[in-house]
Amino acid sequence: MGTILCATRGGVDSQPTQRRAISLAQERGNRLVFLYVVDTTFLNTVAAPLVVDVASQLRQMGQFQLAMAQEQAAEQEIEAEIVIRQGPLRTELIQVAQEVQASLIVLGYPKGEEARFDEGDFQNFIGELTAKTGAEVVIVES
Amino acid sequence: MNYDPSFFITLGIFLLVLLAIGFRWVHETAAVLSGAVAIWLVHYVGGTFFPSLHIIGFDEAMAFVDWNVIFLVLGMMIFMAMFSETGFLHWLAYRAFRLTRGNAWLLGLALILLTGVTSSFLNNVTAMLLLIPLTIQIAETVGLDPLAYVIPEVLAANIGGAATLIGDPPSTIVGLHLGLGFLEYAIQAAPVVVISMLLLLGASAWLYRREIAGARKRYSAALIRQLESGAQIMDPSLLRKAGIVGVVTLFLFFVAEFFGLPASVVALTGATWLIIWVRPDMYRMLREVDWTTLVFFIGIFVLVGGVKQAGIIHWVVQIVDRLAGSSLDRAMVFTVWLSGLVSGVIDNIPFTVAALPVVDLLNQALPAAQGNPVLYWALIFGADFGGNLTYVGGAANIVAVGLLSQAGYRVSFGRFMRDGALVVVTTLLVVTLWLWIRY
Repeated sequence: MGTILCATRGGVDSQPTQRRAISLAQERGNRLVFLYVVDTTFLNTVAAPLVVDVASQLRQMGQFQLAMAQEQAAEQEIEAEIVIRQGPLRTELIQVAQEVQASLIVLGYPKGEEARFDEGDFQNFIGELTAKTGAEVVIVES
Repeated sequence: MNYDPSFFITLGIFLLVLLAIGFRWVHETAAVLSGAVAIWLVHYVGGTFFPSLHIIGFDEAMAFVDWNVIFLVLGMMIFMAMFSETGFLHWLAYRAFRLTRGNAWLLGLALILLTGVTSSFLNNVTAMLLLIPLTIQIAETVGLDPLAYVIPEVLAANIGGAATLIGDPPSTIVGLHLGLGFLEYAIQAAPVVVISMLLLLGASAWLYRREIAGARKRYSAALIRQLESGAQIMDPSLLRKAGIVGVVTLFLFFVAEFFGLPASVVALTGATWLIIWVRPDMYRMLREVDWTTLVFFIGIFVLVGGVKQAGIIHWVVQIVDRLAGSSLDRAMVFTVWLSGLVSGVIDNIPFTVAALPVVDLLNQALPAAQGNPVLYWALIFGADFGGNLTYVGGAANIVAVGLLSQAGYRVSFGRFMRDGALVVVTTLLVVTLWLWIRY
């Protein structure tokens, strides 16, 4: 049985990605793992008293987002697992894919202001992901 | 007016720093520090060969740093670092969810008010970091687009921050410069803040009427459990101690004037008391203090010291004086709206520090302004409320948008501005009318 790894942030932007991952898990009878990566780099340009443990706040939020994704999967009778990591998305995604021995990786690609990668950079990343994990990569645009 | 090379070089450096901050080329602290260092290098190295390049030396620059502001921010940071570990705000937000039985209207009202009040006493960014992640989860539980709660919360934070001397940096910087006591400041600011908050509540209810009407009435038990698990009091003993110290410190802020206690000494008294009582790991405690913010404040004071020494402030005052035509009313309106507009696109801290000496000189130049603090209040409210205009207008806005993005909700520039512009125009109208009537 293969493993589908779906990187998600939850929320409305990630819904198409999550739905696609769930439907692929149903079709293929694969194990489904949702991944949330805590990323605090948006604070890197702000000079304000960051005395709060931001990473733990985001970890807690990530846990909630993944609980919602699990519920969504459960409605389709898929029992999904969850993984939360902290660090650069690229590194963490590759590492988790290797750990769970993912055969398929489902990724969302938000376009516009909030895109994490530009087009060329994204293609390079997909190449790197495939090379390092040996997994098939499915892109869902949002 | 003497337009020597130091004038143009300093002006260039200052504008470059503002651009670097506005466009987020580098971290804000790196931008102001680079500006301060550039001014010193021009002063010392350039000034050795060309005396006209003397701008401001190190010792002179240090005299421009308002240490009362620096130590007040430091004291508050130490308190916030310990308080944030109690989980109290999470617990409070979750209680609001339970008490309102998930009624989306009442819940929105409670969360917006909670943010506004929290921001009056804690830094806006801290309020955002503590409240927004849980707000997103609460909104998702009731099946609501989190933007319907989060954006009004950001706007409430910037409005609520103006309520006290410690709520928002412009209030702290200008309030301390005026020598205002905590109580005196709060009494003067309260009417404008209360009216603005009421208007914000009305505007939010109207802007998000469809989303709120469509909220879910039944919730998933699993999600409620998840929500509840993240909304526990983490350390009841720390909460009790922080609560006692917080209340006593607040009382001290109110009576500080009587003893001639500077606000910084009050904040440091509370922070030191809490450190001795709680006995945290000092190494960790001091590491958690955000030194970049303190360096940012010092850098901006130095930079503006250079701007003042180079004659730029005097030049700006002449322009404003000409535009205002020696009318205090016109100068007040100009200060409110210009402060609001500029703070809407760049960080309001450098703007306030730079605008304060302009207001000082303007106050001396306008006969009707003698003994009348109206222009200072115009600067406080303009800078505090103007931050609501765009999502780059304040650190709290940027943090909230970043947190939303982390939960998979995109907020475009225009989307934020739809709500922000409406609230800024409305609240600045309130400010203008209030200052016109009051002063």
